[in-house]
Amino acid sequence: MDQYGTAPSPAEHPGIFRSEEMCLAQLYIQSEAAYGCVAELGELGLVQFRDLNPDISAFQRKYVKEVRRCDEMERKLRFLEREIKKDQVPMLDTGENPDVPQPREMIDLEATFEKLENELREVNQNEETLKKNFNELTELKHILRKTQTFFEEAGTEGMAPPETAHDAETLELTSVPTGSMFANFGLPIVFCCASTPNVNCFCFLQHEELQVEALLPLEVTRDLHAPDTPALIMQLRFVAGVIQRERLPAFERLLWRVCRGNVFLRQSDIDDVIQDAVTGESVNKTVFIIFFQGDQLKTKVKKICEGFRATLYPCPDTPQERREMSIGVMTRIEDLKTVLGQTQDHRHRVLVAASKNVRMWLTKVRKIKSIYHTLNLFNIDVTQKCLIAECWCPVNELERIKMSLKRGTEDSGSQVPSILHRMETSENPPTYHKTNKFTRGFQEIVDAYGMATYREINPAPYTMITFPFLFAVMFGDMGHGTVMLLAGLFFILKEKQLEAARIRDEIFNTFFNGRYVIFLMGAFSIYTGFIYNDIFSKSINLFGSSWRNTYGADFFQEHLTYEEQEKPFMLVPEKGFDSPGGPYPFGLDPVWNLAESNKLSFLNSMKMKASVILGITQMAFGLMLSLYNHRYFKSDLDIKWMFIPQALFLGCIFVYLCLQIIAKWLFFTAEANTVFGYDYPGSNCAPSLLIGLINMFMQKSRDKGFEGPTCYLNFWYPGQSFFEFIFLAVAICCVPVMLFAKPYLMWKEDQLRRGRGHAHLAPVELILLVVALVQVPLMLFAKPYLLWRRQKGYQPQIDQPGTSGGFQQSVRADMNGEDVEVVQHADEPPKENGASHGGGHGHGDGPLDMGDVMVYQAIHTIEFVLGCVSHTASYLRLWALSLAHAQLSDVLWTMVFRHAFGFDGYLGAFITYALFFVFFFLSVGILVLMEGLSAFLHALRLHWVEFQSKFYGGHGYPFAPFSFEKILQEEREAEEQA
Amino acid sequence: MGEFFFNIDHGYLEALIRGFKGGILTQSDYANLVQCETLEDLKLHIQSTDYGNFLANEPGAITVGVIDERLKEKLVTEFTHLRNNALEPLATFLDYITYAYMIDNIVLLITGTLHQRPIAELISKCHPLGSFEQMEAIHIASTPAELYNAVLVDTPLANYFVDCINEQDLDEMNVEIIRNTLYKAYIEDFYKFCENLGGKTAEVMCEILAFEADRRAIIITINSFDTELSKDDREKLYPRCGKLYPEGLVGLARADDYEQVKQVCEWYGDYKALFEGTGPNPGDKTLEDKFFEHEVKLNVHSYLHQFHFGVFYAFIKLKEQEMRNVIWIAECISQRHRSKIDNYIPIL
Repeated sequence: MDQYGTAPSPAEHPGIFRSEEMCLAQLYIQSEAAYGCVAELGELGLVQFRDLNPDISAFQRKYVKEVRRCDEMERKLRFLEREIKKDQVPMLDTGENPDVPQPREMIDLEATFEKLENELREVNQNEETLKKNFNELTELKHILRKTQTFFEEAGTEGMAPPETAHDAETLELTSVPTGSMFANFGLPIVFCCASTPNVNCFCFLQHEELQVEALLPLEVTRDLHAPDTPALIMQLRFVAGVIQRERLPAFERLLWRVCRGNVFLRQSDIDDVIQDAVTGESVNKTVFIIFFQGDQLKTKVKKICEGFRATLYPCPDTPQERREMSIGVMTRIEDLKTVLGQTQDHRHRVLVAASKNVRMWLTKVRKIKSIYHTLNLFNIDVTQKCLIAECWCPVNELERIKMSLKRGTEDSGSQVPSILHRMETSENPPTYHKTNKFTRGFQEIVDAYGMATYREINPAPYTMITFPFLFAVMFGDMGHGTVMLLAGLFFILKEKQLEAARIRDEIFNTFFNGRYVIFLMGAFSIYTGFIYNDIFSKSINLFGSSWRNTYGADFFQEHLTYEEQEKPFMLVPEKGFDSPGGPYPFGLDPVWNLAESNKLSFLNSMKMKASVILGITQMAFGLMLSLYNHRYFKSDLDIKWMFIPQALFLGCIFVYLCLQIIAKWLFFTAEANTVFGYDYPGSNCAPSLLIGLINMFMQKSRDKGFEGPTCYLNFWYPGQSFFEFIFLAVAICCVPVMLFAKPYLMWKEDQLRRGRGHAHLAPVELILLVVALVQVPLMLFAKPYLLWRRQKGYQPQIDQPGTSGGFQQSVRADMNGEDVEVVQHADEPPKENGASHGGGHGHGDGPLDMGDVMVYQAIHTIEFVLGCVSHTASYLRLWALSLAHAQLSDVLWTMVFRHAFGFDGYLGAFITYALFFVFFFLSVGILVLMEGLSAFLHALRLHWVEFQSKFYGGHGYPFAPFSFEKILQEEREAEEQA
Repeated sequence: MGEFFFNIDHGYLEALIRGFKGGILTQSDYANLVQCETLEDLKLHIQSTDYGNFLANEPGAITVGVIDERLKEKLVTEFTHLRNNALEPLATFLDYITYAYMIDNIVLLITGTLHQRPIAELISKCHPLGSFEQMEAIHIASTPAELYNAVLVDTPLANYFVDCINEQDLDEMNVEIIRNTLYKAYIEDFYKFCENLGGKTAEVMCEILAFEADRRAIIITINSFDTELSKDDREKLYPRCGKLYPEGLVGLARADDYEQVKQVCEWYGDYKALFEGTGPNPGDKTLEDKFFEHEVKLNVHSYLHQFHFGVFYAFIKLKEQEMRNVIWIAECISQRHRSKIDNYIPIL
C-alpha cells in the first residue's frame, strides 16, 4: 500500500488500487493512413478521442459524405433484414467479428447491396402486381359465386323471406317493405313479394336478355303470376363489388341516406381471408350487390363505392355468362398461382443467399461508419495531408497503441509513419479502471455512487471483501447462505451458455451480472452462519457445548412438585459453564439456542457490540485511505490539518469506545475477580459502556472501583477520569482545527502567491485573519469585500498569455510545412475548487474564493463530526437486520415446518413432505430473496455513505474509449429494443 | 379538488406529453438547420434531435413532401397513443382537438371537388388527424343540406353544421363561409367545454381559445375587404368567446379598412402590441407571423402550470408550428431561396 502514496511514478503501479494513469496525446496521421490507423485503434479499444471541431455542425465535417454512404448502406441492409424476417428465413448470426474492410471495399459492398436491393424491389414489385391481380380475381370469383346464390335463392325459393336477422336488417334498411323477388329463369317471370295485400312493392321481371327489369309498384294481389301484367317496366340495374368488412355498416347507412332508401343491397361475407398486396396484412372482405334504378342513382352509388374504397367488378347478367366467366376466372387464378409461386421461390432464393451474410455486412458497415464518425472529430492541417487527433489513453498501454498505429500505417501503405506524442495538460483526465469479470460487479457498485476522481484510491478492491462480509453479518445463516452460494455458483458455472443465450430479461440480467457478488455473499453468509451457529434457525453442536446441566434427573424428581418442574430453570454460569474445557471453540455455543428467555438479550448484546466494532473499524480504515489519498496528491495541508484532527477525533472517542468493549469482553467474567486492581464482585457490577460514554461527555464525577449500589456506573480502571478528560478535550479541540485551519492556510498561501504587489494590504490581512478565526458569521461580510479586491487584483493577470487560467493552449506543429499554429480553446469550467481532494489546490488555477472554501470546509467538518456519531449508530443496522433475519427464520421454522413433526406414521411422512415445500419456498422467497435484497441495500448504503464519505471524492468522469466492440454491442441492444 | 386526483387518471399522459414537449427543436437546432445546404444535410442533422431515425428508411433522395409526410406520421402516432390511453374527460378533450382538422379536411375536399380534382388525390392531402370514415364520400354532396344529411350527420361536427344548411350552393364563397361558421361553432363549443371542465384547464385553455377566436375575427375582417361578403354576414362569422366580444366585435363589424381594424384592436393591450411592428415594408413581420408568435408564447406558457389538459392542446399546436418551420426551412433549402429561410417562428 505504502508505495502508492509516496511515488506517483506510474509504470510501476498497475493494479486496481487506483485508476490507470492517463495522458493526453496528439496523433499525427497521414490522411491516407488515417482510416487504417483508426480501424486498428477501434479494435484495440483503448483510446478516447476528443472532439477538435466542437463548433462545426455535423453536416459540415469532412467525412460526412462517407458517413452518409454508410447510412445508406445501413438502410439497405435494414431493408434486406426486414424482408428476410418477413419470409422467416433464419439469419446466420455467428457473432464473428469481421475485420474492418478497406475503404475501397466500400464501393464493392455498396454495389452488392444496391444490386440486392434492386433485385428484391423488382421481385417485390412483380409479386405485388401479381398478388393484386390474384386478389382481384379471387374477389371476382367470390362475387360470381355469391351473386349466384343471391339469384338462386330468389329463383328457387320464390319468395325469399328474410332468413337471418342480418338479412332482415338489410331489408329494412333498403326499405323494401316486405321482401324481394329475383327472377332468375330464362322465362320472363314476375314474382311478387307480398305477404300482405295492398302494399306497394317492387317486382322484378327478367327478360330473355336478362336485363333485370322491374315493375313499378303494383297493386299486389296474391295471384299475380301472369307474365303479361300491364305494368310500366323500368330498368333495374345492379352493381356488384367487394368492400372491407368493417366499412360495411357505414357504407350501408350512407347508401341508404343518400339514395333515400331507393336501393337494395345484399351482402355476403367472404370466408377466405384475402392478403393485402402491399402491406401483406390479411383483410376480411364482403361481397355486396346493389340494385337500383336510374342513372342518377347510379352515379351516386358509384361515387359512394369509390368513397368507401369498394372495388366494383363487372358481373354478367345471365347465369350462363356467369358460369363461363367463373370458369375463365378459375383458370386464370390457377395460372397466376403458378407464376406467383415461381416469383416467391425466386424471392426466397435471393433472401436465403442474403441471409448468410447480412449480419456480417451489418457489422462491417457499422465499423466503417464509426471510423468515419471518429475521423470527423479530427483536425485537418492546412496542407490537407495530415490529420491531427487528440486523445486520452492509458500510459501503460502507449506501447500497444503505438504498435497498432504502426500496423495501421503499414497496412495502408503509407510512407510516413504516424506519430503519437504526449502533451502536457492541466485538464482532468478521465478515470479508467481496468476490470475483469470478477471485479466488474464490485466496480459497478462503487461507480454507481460516483466515478472516482482521477487517480484517487479506488474503493472497489476493499469493497470486494467488506461488501459481502457486511452483507453476511446481516444475513448470517448457513442454510440460506448455502442456497445463495449455490445460485451464484450455478450462474458462474453456466456463465458461457447463459451469455450466449442473450436473455433480455432485466431482472435476470441483474442477478446474472452480479453473480460473483452473489457467490461471495453466499460464502460469507455461511461463515457468519457458523459464527452465529445458525442454520434455518437451528444450531449445530459440532464441538460439544461448554455448558453442562447442573441439575441431575433426580433433582427434579426429588425436590420439586410437578408444577414447579414446568418453570424455566437457570444454568448458573459459575456452576454450569465448564471452564476447564474453555469456551466453545468457534462461534456461538449451541446451548444458547435452547435458552428461550435470555437467548435474545445475549445475542443482542453480542451483535450490537460486534456491529459497533466492525463499523468503527471500517470508518477508521476509510480514514486511513484518505491519508493515502492526501499523500498521493502531495497535500501536506490536508494531512496536517484534515487527516490528523480527524483521526484524533475518531480515535479519542470512538476507537476508545471499541477498546472499552474489548476490555469488557476480556476482563469481566461471571465470577468475582480482581480487575485493574479493583475488587470485582460479579457480573452485576460489569461497567455499563453506553452510560459510561454519556458520562464521559458530561464529565460527571463518579466513584472509583466496584462499590455501592450503582457499581456498574463507576470508574473501572485507574486514571479513567483523567484519560477521559484528555480524550474529550483533544476531540473538542480538533473541531475548530478541522473547520478553520485549512481555509486559513489556503487563504494565506493565496495571499502570498499573488499579494506581493499588495504589501500595503498587510493590516487588512491581519484584520481578516482575526475575523476568519474568531467569528464565522462575519464571513458573510468578508466575502463581498474579497470579491471586490479579487477583481482588482485579478485584472492585470489576464493579459499575460500562458498563465491565464481560463484558457488552455496547445501548439500544433505541422509535419510537412513549417507553420506552427497556436490553438486556444476555452477550458471547461473548473470542476472543483482548490478545496477538493484531487485538485492540487493552491497550485495556481484561478483565484481563491474564500466564501466557497469556507462553506465547503464547514460542510465537510460538520459532516465528519456529526457523521462519526450518526454513522456509528448507523452501523447498528448490522445488528438490527441480523436480528430480524434470525427472528423471521425462527418464525418460519416454528410456525410452519415444526408442525410436521407432531404426526407419526404415513400421515407424518406425507405432512412432512408437503410442509417441507411450503417451508422451502417461503424460505427462498422471503428469507433469501427479499431479506437478501434488503441486506444488500443496507450493505450498499454502509459502503456508499459510511465508508466512502471518509475518503472518496467521486468527481471524475468515466473513460469512454473508441471501441468497435462497445459500439457494436450498443447498436445491437438498440436493435433488439426496437 | 380536481388537481389532487389528476394524476390518478391523467398523470401518465401528462408525463408523456411533457416528455414529448422536451423533444421540441430548440433554438440551436434551428440555427443548425438553417445552415443546411441540402435536404440530406437536414436529414443528417435532424437525426441528432428527438426525431431520431424517422427519415432513415427512406429510399432514394428525400423531398419536402416525404419530410412532411413523415413529420405528420410521427405526430399522428404520438397523438393516437395518447388518445388510446386517455380516460374521460381527457378523451373528449383530445377528440375536440381533432375536430379542427376535420373541418379543414371537409373544406379541402369540398373545394377540391369543386375544382374537379380526383378524390384520391385530395384524400392524400387531408390531415390524418382529422380523417373520419365518411370523409371520402363527401364529393357526392352538391348542396350544404345534402352534405349535412348524407355525410356529416353522423360525425361530431353535425351540431356545428346546423347553421350552414340554408346556404344555397356550394361555391367558393359559400365554402369559405361554411368553414368559418363551422370554426366559429367549434371554438365556441370547445370554449364552453373547457369552461365546464373548470380548474386550471379552464384557466389555460380559455386564454388560448379566446386568442384563437379573436385572431379568426380579425383575420376574417381583414380578408373580407373588397369581397362580396356583406358586413352583416361577416359579423355572423365572428366567434363570440374571445376578449373582443362584445365591443370589439361590433367595432370590427363596422370596419372598412385595415386602419380601422387596427384602431379597434388598440384598445386591447395584447393585440395592440401585435399590430405594432407589423407593416408592409420588406423586413417587417406580417400580422400573421405576429399572431403565430403570440400563439406559441401562450402555448409555451401553458407548460408552466400543472394538472391541466392545456398541455395536450399546446403540444399539438407547438408541434404543428414546428412542422411548419421544418417544412419552411426544407422548402427554402430545396428551392435555393435562402434569403427568407430565417422567417420561421421560433419556439422558445
